[in-house]
Formats: sequence, C-alpha cells, structure tokens
Amino acid sequence: MILAALLLVTQVAAQDPRLERLDPDTRSAVAAIADSAHGVGLPVEPIIQRALEGATKGASGARIVAAVRRLAVDLGTARSALGTSASAPELEAAVAALRAGATPQVLAHLRDVRRPPLTMALSVLADLVASGVPADSAAAAVLALAPKARDADLVEFRRAVERDIALGAPPGAATSVRLNTGAFTTDAGSPGSPGTPPARPRRP
Amino acid sequence: MFEPEDETVERVIQHLRRPVAIDAGLDARVMREIAQASSPRRRAWPRWSAGAAAAAAAAAVLGALVVARPWARNATSRADTLQFVLVAPQAASVALVGDFNDWDPARSPMQTAHGIWAKALRLAPGRYRYAFLVNGVEWRADPGAPAAKDDEFGTPSSVVTVGGRGS
Repeated sequence: MILAALLLVTQVAAQDPRLERLDPDTRSAVAAIADSAHGVGLPVEPIIQRALEGATKGASGARIVAAVRRLAVDLGTARSALGTSASAPELEAAVAALRAGATPQVLAHLRDVRRPPLTMALSVLADLVASGVPADSAAAAVLALAPKARDADLVEFRRAVERDIALGAPPGAATSVRLNTGAFTTDAGSPGSPGTPPARPRRP
Repeated sequence: MFEPEDETVERVIQHLRRPVAIDAGLDARVMREIAQASSPRRRAWPRWSAGAAAAAAAAAVLGALVVARPWARNATSRADTLQFVLVAPQAASVALVGDFNDWDPARSPMQTAHGIWAKALRLAPGRYRYAFLVNGVEWRADPGAPAAKDDEFGTPSSVVTVGGRGS
C-alpha cells in the first residue's frame, strides 16, 4: 500500500491529461522529467506549461524535451540559491533572472536583503536585462532598491528605465540615473499603496 | 509594428491611456450628498435597546469574519486583474495564450472594438509567459510588456509579473 502511494505521488505528471497534446514519445519524456522534479521537491507546473507552450507553438518533440529539461535544471539551481522555502513563483522568476545573467550569488544576496516574496524583484531584474541593461548593472540596481522598495516601486523603476532607453539613453546610464534619483524607495504615495484601490485593470 | 492606417487608432489609445485628473474634493462632495440623501431613512429605523444593538453588531462582525475569512488568506486573495490589449485592425481573431491558460487558444479569445483587441484576466501572483495568436497562425508579443528573452520555440513571447505585495 505504501509502495502504491509512493508510485501515485511520483507519477503525478504521467497522469496529467493536459500532456495528451504531446505525441507519445514527447509526453513520456516530459512526464519523466516532471516526475523527477516533483521527486526532489521542485514545482511541476512550470515544466508542464513550458511543454504546452512548445506544443501550441508547433515545436518539435526534441525541442520541447530540451526546453523542459533545461528548465528543470535551472529550477534546481534557483532553489539552491534561494533555499527550500522559495515558492514556485519565486523559483520561476529566479530562473528568468539566472538566464538573464544574474549569478546564484546575486539571488542569494537578494534573499538576504528583502523579505519574501521575491518574485517581483527577480522579474524586474530579468526584465531590465531584456531591455538591454547589462546584467551586473541590473543586479546592482535591484539589490540597492530591494531592502525598502515596494513591488510597485520596482515596477515603476523598470518602466522609467525602459522609457529612458526608448528615448535614446544608454541602458546602463538610464539605470544609474534613475537609481540615483532615489524616487523609488519610498513607501508613501506609491501607485500600489494599500489604501489606494486600483481604479481599473492595469496593463502588463 | 503599426501600419499607417493605424495611426488614428494609436492616437485614440494614447489619449485613453492618459491619467484622468480627479478633483481632490470629489470624495467629500459625494459622501456629503449620500449623507443628505439617506438622512430621512435614518428616522424610520426602529429604536433598539442597547442589548439588541450589541447583539446585532456582534452578529454582523461574526458574519463578516465568516464570509471574508481573513485567516484563510492565500495566493488567490492577492490576485490582480490585468487588461491585455493588442491593436490589430486587420485581424479576424486574436487569442490570448500563456502560462495562465495552458497555452490553449480556445480558452481566452479576445474581444474587439474597432481593431482594438482586449481581454481582462485575474491572475494569482507569479511570473507568466504569454503571447497573442492572431488569426490562428501568427504569433505576436505584447508591444507594451517586457519580452521573454528565453524563448526556445522560435516565436516571440512576453512576460507579466503579478507581485505578492503592492504591485
């Protein structure tokens, strides 16, 4: 009975009906990777979603399996840096930060200076790099803001840097200038203050 | 990414995105009007004894706690509603697909008004990859959102993050 229960737990992905959108070989490989991840305590849902993304976009089975395997490895690296208490959204955001060029040391430092959840801080770091900001500059900026800035402040910081870049500023310089203005570290009056209900759905 | 004939639509969008300035005294005026409008009703309320009033208040607090269940706060309770928009006047259909709907084009079809396609979704905290599927064949990233740099499937995607505090 214990063995049956263990088998049930370790074959979570194999029973997921969503994976029926994959061809049998790909489904089997993805399920095996997802079950291995589950076995070591990593979140399975990001792995399933990456496989479904590949299926919907018409990627080959080999490409889907490679993407899923890489994601599972990166989730493990992220958890090593953030610790076993990191949530699934934090781990996903950490993977994006790692792939953007942040080191595991940066992730660990962020964990030390900011109370959880770290999802938004990690995402802003990754998004800044995606906008052209050098990885070390983006990491330094987020680490500087992390102790005091609210999530909404971090988002506004990212938007301000992106606006400056769109207007022609060098990405690294835009980051430094916006950081030095010091306008993103206050608690009062920010767009996401608890007492300010959102008037309408916000844009991504 | 817009075609020349889209300029008018784009100007309309820019106009609609401008912050709306609201008079700081609006709240006070509205509350004053409400107070005046409801004052006749107050006179029709029955006179309650202190004990009955206390019991009613206790019941109301208990009822509110049972309904709101603040001790059961979870990720869903911090969910955020996001408005996804794509300007595509030539499109016959646009679907919003991403990590939030199993990348299933049938789950979140977007509605259009004069070529502006929109869809509002309530999302729990997390980082989501997504894209627009135009006419069932063409993948487009969201021009108003960060790009997903780690796209391994050869088509553009965007990312949106819903934070757990103050986002």
